[in-house]
Amino acid sequence: MKMVFINKFILSGTKDSLFRLFFIIIGLTAFSLITLYSISDNPLSFNSSFYRQSIFLIFSSIVFIIVQNIKMKTIHDNSTFIFIGTVILCIVPFFLPAVEYTYRWIDLGFFYIQPSEYLKCATVIVIAKYLSNHQLEVKDNSIILIPSALTLLSAFIVLNQPDLGTAVIICAPLLPMLLWAGVSNFMIFLMIAPVITVLAASNIISFTIWAIIMFIFFLIFQASILTKSMLYFANIFTGLLTPFLWNNLAEYQKQRILTFLNPDLDPMGSAYHIIQSITAIGSGGLFGKGWGLGSQTQLKFLPVQESDFILSVIAEELGFFGIFCVMILCFLLIKTLLDIAFRSPDYFASLVIVGLGSILLSHIFINSAMTIGLIPVKGLPIPFISAGGSFLLSCFIMIGLVVSFSKN
Amino acid sequence: MLKIDNKADIFHYRTLLFILCFSLSSLIGRYFYLQVIDHERHFSKSEVNSVKALTTYAPRGLIMDRHGEILVDNYPTYILTATPYELKDRDEVFIKLSSIVNVSAEELDRKYKKFYRGRFLPTTIAKNLTFQEISQIEEMRLEFPGIQYSRSDERIYSPILNDAHFLGYLREVDRDTIPKLDKKLLYRAGELIGWQGVEKEYERELRFSKGIDYIEVDTYGREILRLNDSNIPAFPGENLSLTIDASLQRYCRNILEGKKGSVLVSNVDTGEILSMVSAPSYDLSIYRGKTLDSEWNNLLKNKDNPLLNRSIAGLYPAGSKLKLITVINLIEKNLVDPSDSLMCTGVYIPPGSTNEFRCWNENGHGLVDLNKAIAQSCNIYFYETVQLISLEDWTGTAKKFGFNGSTKIDLPNEKNGLIPDKDFYIRNYGRWGWSERGVLLNLTLGQGDILITPVQALRFINHIASRGETPQLRLSLSKETSYYDKILYTEKVWNHIWDGMFDAVNADQGSGWRARLKGSDIKLFGKTSTAENPHGEPHAWFIGFFEVEGTTYSIVVMIENGGGGGAVASPIAGDIVSYYINSFKSLAKK
Repeated sequence: MKMVFINKFILSGTKDSLFRLFFIIIGLTAFSLITLYSISDNPLSFNSSFYRQSIFLIFSSIVFIIVQNIKMKTIHDNSTFIFIGTVILCIVPFFLPAVEYTYRWIDLGFFYIQPSEYLKCATVIVIAKYLSNHQLEVKDNSIILIPSALTLLSAFIVLNQPDLGTAVIICAPLLPMLLWAGVSNFMIFLMIAPVITVLAASNIISFTIWAIIMFIFFLIFQASILTKSMLYFANIFTGLLTPFLWNNLAEYQKQRILTFLNPDLDPMGSAYHIIQSITAIGSGGLFGKGWGLGSQTQLKFLPVQESDFILSVIAEELGFFGIFCVMILCFLLIKTLLDIAFRSPDYFASLVIVGLGSILLSHIFINSAMTIGLIPVKGLPIPFISAGGSFLLSCFIMIGLVVSFSKN
Repeated sequence: MLKIDNKADIFHYRTLLFILCFSLSSLIGRYFYLQVIDHERHFSKSEVNSVKALTTYAPRGLIMDRHGEILVDNYPTYILTATPYELKDRDEVFIKLSSIVNVSAEELDRKYKKFYRGRFLPTTIAKNLTFQEISQIEEMRLEFPGIQYSRSDERIYSPILNDAHFLGYLREVDRDTIPKLDKKLLYRAGELIGWQGVEKEYERELRFSKGIDYIEVDTYGREILRLNDSNIPAFPGENLSLTIDASLQRYCRNILEGKKGSVLVSNVDTGEILSMVSAPSYDLSIYRGKTLDSEWNNLLKNKDNPLLNRSIAGLYPAGSKLKLITVINLIEKNLVDPSDSLMCTGVYIPPGSTNEFRCWNENGHGLVDLNKAIAQSCNIYFYETVQLISLEDWTGTAKKFGFNGSTKIDLPNEKNGLIPDKDFYIRNYGRWGWSERGVLLNLTLGQGDILITPVQALRFINHIASRGETPQLRLSLSKETSYYDKILYTEKVWNHIWDGMFDAVNADQGSGWRARLKGSDIKLFGKTSTAENPHGEPHAWFIGFFEVEGTTYSIVVMIENGGGGGAVASPIAGDIVSYYINSFKSLAKK
C-alpha cells in the first residue's frame, strides 16, 4: 500500500533522487552565475562577484566531495562534539574585535568565516541524534524538552551576535523534526499556539477567530479536561495581556523593539530597498527586460543585488518566467530531500535530512518574501543563488551530508 | 547501518509537503501579481528610475533689522557625505580623506555614526570644505568610493551685531531629534535647523523648501543628462525683518560692555522691540565651522553665563517698581487720599512687633504724600499703606500685569516669573510659618520671593505708558499685532502713577534724576528700583517711557549686581534715550 503511493509520486529509488538533486543544484548555480555575470561591471576581474562566486563554487565542490565520503556513523557518534565545537566557534567572535558592529565573523586573513552558518547543521544533527536515540519515548511529552533547549541555546548565542535572521533559521527545523519523529500533534500544536496567540492579539477580530479555532483544536485533542482547559486559558490570558503590556511600554521602548525586529527602520530611508526591489520585480513582466538589460539593476538602484536581492535581479531581467523556474527548482530541491528522508532506511539520517530541508526552505522563503516586501528586510541569502562564500560552502556541506547519509 | 529503522509516517510526509507547496505557491502568486497583473505600474516607475532624483537646496531666509540692514546672511560651503553601502573600506577611506580635509579620521567616524540614517543613504561626515579641498577629492575620485560632496549654506553674522541672543543659531539635526521634528519640513540627519532665538521661532518661514533635480544616469550612476523640464525648483526661505533698530542695538550693546545685565527698548504703540541686549554675550560665529572643544568648555563653564539670554530668561527680584502695584490698589479702592501725608522718620515698626523696617534714606523723608513717595521711592509710606490691602488683592493686581506668566514674545525658552500668592506661602512655609501682613511688607518693595524677567518689566511699563491697553511684544516686523488683556482702571489711577513717575525723573529730589534728558524738551517718565538679593550687590533697575513725535517708547535697564537703581541704571537709561532721540533729529536733518 505504502509503496504504491510512493511510486505514484516519486520517480523511484534513492539513486534517481540523488541524480535529480545533482541536476537541481546545477540548475540553481547556473542561475546564480548567469545573474552574477550580468550585474558585474567587469566579470572577469578578481574583485567581481561572478569571479569570486566561481572560485567559491570550485572550492565548495571539493569540500562537498570530501563531506559525502564521511561515514554517517562517524558523524552520528561525534555529533555531540561537533555541536559543542561549533557552539564554541560561535562564541569566539565575542572575544574578537567587532566587524561592522557585529560579532558574527572570524577573520582568517584571506576569508571571513561565519560559524553560525555551521551551527545550523550542528544543531540539526545533535537533535536528530537525541530523537533517534529516544525513539521509544517519543510519545512521552517530555521528549520535546531537550531538543527545544538545544535549539534555544543556539538561537540565543546567535541572537546576541546579533543576527536575528540566522537565529530564526536555527529555530526553523525544530518543529518539522519533532513532527517527523512522531511527537504527538497535540504537543506540536501547543508549541505553535503561543506564537500565534501573541501575533493574533494585535487585533480583536483575529484574536476572536484564533480563540475559537484554538478551542476546537483543544476539543479534538486527547488530554485530561483539566490540562486542556488550563492550557487554553493560559493562551487566552497571554493574548489578552499582550496589547496591555505593549501599550504599557514607553514610546522609546516600543521603538527599540521595532528597530530590533527591523534594523533598517529609518524614518527617511525606510522601505527604500523594498520599494526599489518591488519596482525591479514588477517591471520585469512576464519574460523580463532581457539579460543584462534590467535598468533597476544595471543602474544600481537595487541594493545588495549580488546576495540579498539577487532574486529581484532575476525577476527584472528574466521576468516571471525566470522566477517561476527558480521556484520550481527550489520546490524540487526540497521535495527531493523530503523523498530521500522518507525513503531512507535509517531513522537518524531521515531526521537530519528533514532538518536540513527545513533550513533550506526557510532560507528560500524568507529571502523571497523579503524581496517582495512580505516581511521586513533580513539579510538572509537564498541557497545556491546568492553570492557569498561562507553560505555557499554551508549549503554544499548540507547536500554533502544528505548524499553521504543516503548512501547507506 | 545504524540500529534504528526509519519509522517516518506518510501523514507527516504529506504535512511537510503541504507546507512546502503552500509557502512556495504563495510566493509564486505574489510574484505573478507583481510581474504580470501589476506590471504596467512598476514598469513605468522603473522607466523614471533610470532617472535619478537629486534633492536640491536653496538658501535659508536672511534676517534683517527694521531698516533692512542685513544681520544674518548666508555663505556657500561644501559638505562631504558618505554612502555606507558603497563605502568599501571605511577606515582606510577616512584616513585618506583626513589628510585632505584637515579633519581627523576619528572625527569623521564620529560624525558618520552620529548622522547615520541607513545603509543606502548618504551621511554627512564633514562640513565647511573649501573649493581646493573639493577639487583635490574630485581628482582622486576613484579612491573614494561612496564619498560625495554637495553645496550647503552656512550662516554668517554681520560683524557689527554678531553677539545678539535673540538671533539664535542653527544646529545639525541628528538621528535622535528627527522623530520630534515637524515631518512636513522633511529634515534629514546632518541638515541645519534653527535651535535658538528667532532662528528657531521662525524656522518655518526661514527654512527653504527642497527641490528635486531629475538626472539621467549611466550604469555607474554618473550624470549623463540633466532633464530640466520636470525639475521641481527649490525655493529660498522667506527673509525675516526684525523690529530691532541695529544702530540703537549697537549703542545699547556698547553701553553694557563689561557689565552684566539687560536693556530693552520698545515701541509702546506697536509692541515692537527696538533693542534687546543681554550682557555678557558671545560671538555667534562659534556655532559655525570648527570650534574647539576647549573654547566651548570655557563658554559653558563661565560663571557669568554668557549663553543665557537675560532679557527673557533671567529671573531677578523686582525691587520698588512694584510699589506701583500698591499705588494702584490704594487709589482704585480709595484707601488713601493722595494728598494726605505720612511722616517718614527712616524707621517703621509694624504694630505688635519689635522688628524695625528701615527706609533706604536713613534720615527719613519727612512728610511724604503719594506723589513724593513714588518719586523718592519712600519705603515707609508703602510699609504703612500696604497694611490697608489684602494679600489677595495685591497679588491679583500683579498678575493682571502679566508677572507670573510669559509675555508671549516671539522667542523660545522664555521664563515665567514668580509672584508668590497664598498657595505659594502655604506650600513653602506651612500653614502657620508666615503672616499676611509680614509678607506684604516685603512684596510692596518688590522683594521676598518675587522673581521677574526684564521683558516682564517691559510689559509692565508698556501697560502703564498705554494706560492699560498695549500690544504684545514682538521681534518680527511682519507679525500681526495682538493685544494683551486690557487692564481697566480709572483715569485717576494712571494719572497718579504718571505724576509720580514724572517727578521721579524730573523733580529735584526724584530718585531717577540722573536719567533726566539734558537739552531736550522731551520728558522721560521713570521709576528706579534697587533689588536686594542674596548674591551680592543689589540689582539696579530703571523702567521708563517717553513720547517722541507722537509715538510712545519704553525702556527697561537692569544691571545685575550693579548697585542702586538711581545711581547706576538711571544714567544708562538717560544716555540711551538721549541717543535715540538724537537719532530722530539726525534723521530729520537728512
